Amino acid sequence: MSVGLLSRALSALSVSRAASPQIASVSGVSAALTGSRGFMTSACECQNRSLWKQREKYTVRPIGMKKTGGRDYTGRIVTHGIGGGHKQRYRMIDFQRLRYEPGREDQPIVEKVVEVRYDPCRSADIALVAGGSRKRWIIATETMEAGDVIRSSSAIGRMAVLAKEGDSHPLGALPIGTLINNLELLPGRGAQYIRAAGTCGVLLRKVNGTAIVQLPSKHQIQVLETCVATVGRVSNVDHNKRIIGKAGRNRWLGIRPSSGRWQRKGGWAGRKIRRLPPIKSFVTPAQ
Amino acid sequence: MFNATVQRIRTPAFKITKSCKSKDCHSVLYMIPHGRRFLSTSSCLYGKILPRKKPRVVHEIAGLEPITYADRMHFVPGLAKPWFPPWDRGWKDPSHYTSPKLEDMPLHKDKTCYMFNQRTNVLEGVRQALWLSKSVIIKGLPAQILTLAEDPANQIENQDERVQDAIKNSRLWDTTEPRPPRERFCPSLLHRLLHLCGGLQVTCPELAKRILAEKYSLAATWRRGEDVFQVRGQNGLLLNSMTPVPVLAGEEQIQSTADQALETFYPIAPTIDLQCTHVYQEKNDTGFREGYPYPHAHTLFLMEMGNTPKLFPEQLRAKMVMFTFGNALARAQALYGKEPRVLEKPIVVQSVATNGRLFQFVVFQLNTTDLQSDSGVKNLVWVDEDQPLYDFAKVRPFIKKKVVKVPAGLSGYQPNTFKKFLALYLHGAA
Repeated sequence: MSVGLLSRALSALSVSRAASPQIASVSGVSAALTGSRGFMTSACECQNRSLWKQREKYTVRPIGMKKTGGRDYTGRIVTHGIGGGHKQRYRMIDFQRLRYEPGREDQPIVEKVVEVRYDPCRSADIALVAGGSRKRWIIATETMEAGDVIRSSSAIGRMAVLAKEGDSHPLGALPIGTLINNLELLPGRGAQYIRAAGTCGVLLRKVNGTAIVQLPSKHQIQVLETCVATVGRVSNVDHNKRIIGKAGRNRWLGIRPSSGRWQRKGGWAGRKIRRLPPIKSFVTPAQ
Repeated sequence: MFNATVQRIRTPAFKITKSCKSKDCHSVLYMIPHGRRFLSTSSCLYGKILPRKKPRVVHEIAGLEPITYADRMHFVPGLAKPWFPPWDRGWKDPSHYTSPKLEDMPLHKDKTCYMFNQRTNVLEGVRQALWLSKSVIIKGLPAQILTLAEDPANQIENQDERVQDAIKNSRLWDTTEPRPPRERFCPSLLHRLLHLCGGLQVTCPELAKRILAEKYSLAATWRRGEDVFQVRGQNGLLLNSMTPVPVLAGEEQIQSTADQALETFYPIAPTIDLQCTHVYQEKNDTGFREGYPYPHAHTLFLMEMGNTPKLFPEQLRAKMVMFTFGNALARAQALYGKEPRVLEKPIVVQSVATNGRLFQFVVFQLNTTDLQSDSGVKNLVWVDEDQPLYDFAKVRPFIKKKVVKVPAGLSGYQPNTFKKFLALYLHGAA
């Protein structure tokens, strides 16, 4: 029986199409489910559930989000504890501070902070900055206020730059011991580390063409000195001191209660006191 | 081996929809969602369907002609996929029209043009509008209009009473619903006030030589530095008159503006928030044809109802300044041609904007069309900001802790605001 099924399946995929269009038309099933030539091309990527995050053009306007509830495309819960919560709109944040406006690549990037506001999608506050003819959202630093002027530069001089909070410079230009945030691992990739509220990394030392940074978890990493980072601590410094107060507030944040069943904890649980792992280097030898 | 094969096909079977019966499925592909077969052991045991990998990218190499299976009329593994040109209908069908790409459009130009339209919400407000129109601001209305406002001979009889009646009509007595929406009471109030002012035609026959126009399309183009700017749009009501509005500033005041510097706001460029486009037409159009009996634009009435992007008072004043400037510039270019020059007879256009309660007054005097450079004679703008006509017009009283904070009905009426409104209306006629 199985061999028969297999052979019929393989025959449906064959070049001669005597049987398959009839099958498709008789049972009224769409071409996607039969073996006929109409393959789905990019239908998977055009799903309505992820259409809201497939916008290529940058905009300052907040975008409506679709909540997933921790479920994936099969409909099953992949991550527990997510669901409900207040409706949120996503504001596209520009993590690459050194993004030049088309037509003004030769001029230094100087921007003015228009507004600092709360972002429902992250713990840090965000700042609307305007420079030239464009506006963009960036992660705000601790003492950023409306009206400040911030600079982003890619120059590494022989002397270290006097670091002003909110400005972004390559690591090679900053004096050691500065507090930094929004660190990128590869030059031009965009900030991926140290973005949460109140966090800051420390520039420990500069070696050859690389710099060693201590992350908020006390891990140390080695990155190229041309990687750009912002100076200062991330805004909303008292975020970890907040008290949720009631179960309802957690539900407003979209956190569902965990399973109440008592489960024996294994070797993963409990405090571990270990030495720090060795410095992770993101500098490939070819560079 | 066959048992394993059976397992592979059966395990995802729980995902089959109820309508699909096994008897009708002649092909095993009916039973598997997405129509794909997965013959790897790990995914079959759990029924998990791994996502499809993206097809490999085929690069085009210039000079090399790919061998395709177009001649064979069927897919042949190893040959390239043929590319056929898109089908052309041959005739123009209006219901199936695809517009060409921006670069192929006939009006496409390399140089960008910055457009100010009725949806523009400028970041820097009036300062940006002043830089764009090369003007200098003076706070408060000019002296001639203020004397017109204070002159008792120009008042309507029972003026305060009739204005308060107009407000109550539009805010309180218009509908049976709890509150009329702003889109309803704002135009209604403005039309009632204009009707009141129009009633003075009996004493002042010059006022009859005016007409109100709505939804006219304005277009004005000018160059500032290396950029081209345009004002376009259908906005508000325009009061046209047969005679031009008299000039407000004297010659020495105009010449003294040449010494004042234009305010810039580094690091923000003056072109921020303007629509930047490559497809445009350099048009200068007042909105009315040649030979129109009321050619001179007198006052522009703008209504801020919060539906097209909601504008704060600062941005609303910027929009007023830009559109009055556009009207004046279009008129100047219609009268004196496109050559940039300093005008001997400056053109004055007024503007009133309201959101139903607050009134903004702007008077713009165009002294020069030479806007290329930042130096030289500049235009003049008089701005009177945020004049409330009344404080509250509530249908139901606002009560906090059993104390009436704001009573029902009209409260906080300011007579001066309507006097200024009337003065702007009468300017040029009385």
